[in-house]
Amino acid sequence: MAAAAADRRRAVLLILPAALLLVVFLAVPYLNILAISFRNPGQGTPYAPGWTLANYGRFLTSDLYQGQMLNTLWIGLVTTFATLVIGLPVAFQLARADLRLRGLCYGIVLSPLLVGIVIRSYGWTILLGNNGVINRGLIGAGLIERPLPLMYNSLGIIIALTHVFLPFMILPIMSAVQSIDPALSAAARSLGAGRVTVIRRVLLPLAMPGIQAGCILVFVLSLSSYVTPALIGGLRVKTMAVTVVDALLDTFQWPLGAALALILSAVGALIVVIFARLTRLKWKG
Amino acid sequence: MTRVTLTRLTKSYGPAIAPAVDAISLDIPSGEFVSLLGPSGCGKTTTLKMLAGFEDLTSGTIAFDGQDVGHVPAEKRDIGMVFQNYALFPHMTVRGNLAFGLEMRKVPKAEMARRIDATLDLVQLTALADRYPRQLSGGQQQRVAIGRALVIEPRILLLDEPLANLDAKLREEMRVFIRDLQRRVGITTIYVTHDQAEAMTMSDRVVVMFRGHIAQAGPPAEIYQRPASRSVAGFVGQVNLVEGRVAAPGTLAESRFGTTALAAPRAPGAPVTLALRPEAIDLLPADAAQGLPARVIAGFDSGAIVDYRLAFDDGSEIEVKAINRGLHVPGTALRLAVDPARLWPLEED
Amino acid sequence: MARQVLNLYSLVIYAFLMAPIVVVIGASLNAGAFLTFPPQGLSLRWYAAFLHNEVFLRAIGTSLWIAAVATLVAGTIGTMAAVYYVQFAGRRKEQLRVALLSPLLLPEVLTAISLLFFVYAVGIGTTTMFGLLVGHVLICLPFVFMNVTSSLEGYDPDWTMAARSLGAGRWTRFRRVMLPLIKPGVFSGCLFAFVISFDVFTISFMLKSIGSSTLPIQLFDYLKSNYTPEAAAVASCSIFVTVAVVVVSEKVLGLRIHRF
Repeated sequence: MAAAAADRRRAVLLILPAALLLVVFLAVPYLNILAISFRNPGQGTPYAPGWTLANYGRFLTSDLYQGQMLNTLWIGLVTTFATLVIGLPVAFQLARADLRLRGLCYGIVLSPLLVGIVIRSYGWTILLGNNGVINRGLIGAGLIERPLPLMYNSLGIIIALTHVFLPFMILPIMSAVQSIDPALSAAARSLGAGRVTVIRRVLLPLAMPGIQAGCILVFVLSLSSYVTPALIGGLRVKTMAVTVVDALLDTFQWPLGAALALILSAVGALIVVIFARLTRLKWKG
Repeated sequence: MTRVTLTRLTKSYGPAIAPAVDAISLDIPSGEFVSLLGPSGCGKTTTLKMLAGFEDLTSGTIAFDGQDVGHVPAEKRDIGMVFQNYALFPHMTVRGNLAFGLEMRKVPKAEMARRIDATLDLVQLTALADRYPRQLSGGQQQRVAIGRALVIEPRILLLDEPLANLDAKLREEMRVFIRDLQRRVGITTIYVTHDQAEAMTMSDRVVVMFRGHIAQAGPPAEIYQRPASRSVAGFVGQVNLVEGRVAAPGTLAESRFGTTALAAPRAPGAPVTLALRPEAIDLLPADAAQGLPARVIAGFDSGAIVDYRLAFDDGSEIEVKAINRGLHVPGTALRLAVDPARLWPLEED
Repeated sequence: MARQVLNLYSLVIYAFLMAPIVVVIGASLNAGAFLTFPPQGLSLRWYAAFLHNEVFLRAIGTSLWIAAVATLVAGTIGTMAAVYYVQFAGRRKEQLRVALLSPLLLPEVLTAISLLFFVYAVGIGTTTMFGLLVGHVLICLPFVFMNVTSSLEGYDPDWTMAARSLGAGRWTRFRRVMLPLIKPGVFSGCLFAFVISFDVFTISFMLKSIGSSTLPIQLFDYLKSNYTPEAAAVASCSIFVTVAVVVVSEKVLGLRIHRF
């Protein structure tokens, strides 16, 4: 009867498809994977009846898995830090570039996103390999005699991941910086603040939401990335995500794979929460 | 044309909070220009939204020509609405904006063109018909908004603070324009504003609202000269509140400025507050034969008019608005004379 | 001075960002049989090889088809969700936002595995492309939602009110007023969705059915055992396809949406 109230009820139809999608194909599968991680391993079937904690136990007793976990976290943290250090000045440059230039720079920052992660990782194998562009360049210049070990180790993975995820650090910081009124730095200067003080006391605190968003995004993406570590790390360095996917696709150990994936995600989430607490992040857009 | 009748119209957002609009009743004859005037949060905009159909009413009725429309959806109610920020469709030209409502009504092409042209002429925008809203000035956008509302020949016209975003000079021009247009079209018009000068100059009738209630409804002059309460007197223009007392036999109020008649008898000896407008006081030289002696404290010169603040010997102060015929400096002794008929005894509220 | 240092530094980083792309395209023009950069002589022979390679062509077709379907579905329900979020979500707004962005916030590898287990649990498995499509829609949804939401921030609800007062019903209001005005957001959201879907790896990797390898998967499989410039040619083609989609849609649709 009441027109506006009926409108509001009808409006629920707008959110219904998205809600169904997220519940049926995201929330339910996540509960399902949680259940599977407590299943007995199966013979010929993905899992056997009955419940067990053994899958988590295997992680706790395996030096191999724990080592991979630590290495994965290490790679994630270093990548996050590297993208932050490298990306922060670029984000400021981009946010304050004049309009015509900004379009071009913005395109360049976005371009890796348009190109695909396999191709970018592949590009890095061409650059980093023993016979790659970098090593041959350095040998040709007489700087080194033997090729530097840039591939099949954590360093190579970190270099490639830093490149792959750099846009995800730059873009949030840039949009935060863009929303800062340029008059604020002028105001701070007029009050006697030097250039460094303006950056430290005015710009960085105001850009903080973007920095936080960028750090969380890059960290989460690094932990769960598969292609780059798989291509650059090869068989020698395995990150947790690679181990998990192999456990599932190659050896069909579903309960173990589920447990390892959940442990990785839980540890990642814990670090994100600690980071958020430390930087007092509010869950706002 | 349409007569609008509101009967005990109420909007409540929950039992815990006071109703936004509390059982207001109002009868607007066909062709009348009525302003709903009040401070923000008084319920005037909520009333307008209920009239337009954008808000559900909690109880009461809205009738157009005696026919209950309170639950007719906005798109079927046949009203013309002008929004505060105009709400012109930015992706359509002026002509496109005007055509929109006619297309909804499936008006035939030829008639549509004729009506749009006539309306463009009415709002003086014929030359700008193919411009987009962003290419127009504020005043031009305003006229498009009015044209868009009128071209559909609605039963009533609703305007929600339409002049709030214009600069002062343009606002005065638009007042005249809208009033003139409304007279020519003859459409029943309800105009929401918090600007008392706007309400006074444009309306046939002003409805002053406070806290969801109608405080007073009447022609502008009546609202101004004979405000029903202190709040109305204070909201509509500046006012001096003069303390007085009911004189025997209870039909007169006496004060230092003289004696005036009460509308209804009150208990003799009871205190009474009299409204006295600052421009109703004449300033006389100190040696004049009549008037009350007072001394200038301050004068605020705004060109044609000076706003004085004066003090009596007992320390009480009064404001006077005078035509600027030579400024009186602070400290000047003067006499104040008042026609007792300009004293208006207020109801206690 | 400081400004110039910053610009110079940024220039170096932009070069760093572009480097692998330049290298891939350069390597694809190799005349020799081995993957080297700079190329040993220029030739298009590896493009010719790729164009005769059924497997890669089919993978490109699959990728385009999945990206198109995922974009259409995610574009529709993401736009609807954004409209609800901006105009109707009351007290639960923040939770709703986090929920709609969750496919982006959750680790893709975990989402992929969950979905894989789920399609098996309900008996669909990976015999059809259903699971793969659902995964792509999930990943694309946040991008549509974010873009449409941000364009709706600039949408004045009074426009809808005005259309109502002029007699427009619900569907007409959406089609004639809201959609044209939020088109830039819907458009860029769909563009993002398409590009993301074209590029998504882990989900496709876990959920692919027999014969439904997308281009990134096919490329990845190829790269595990081969090291010829043909992979670079394929990769370059993929770059060209993406850039073409972006540029063409900007030119064809972009001009019209930026008119007002």
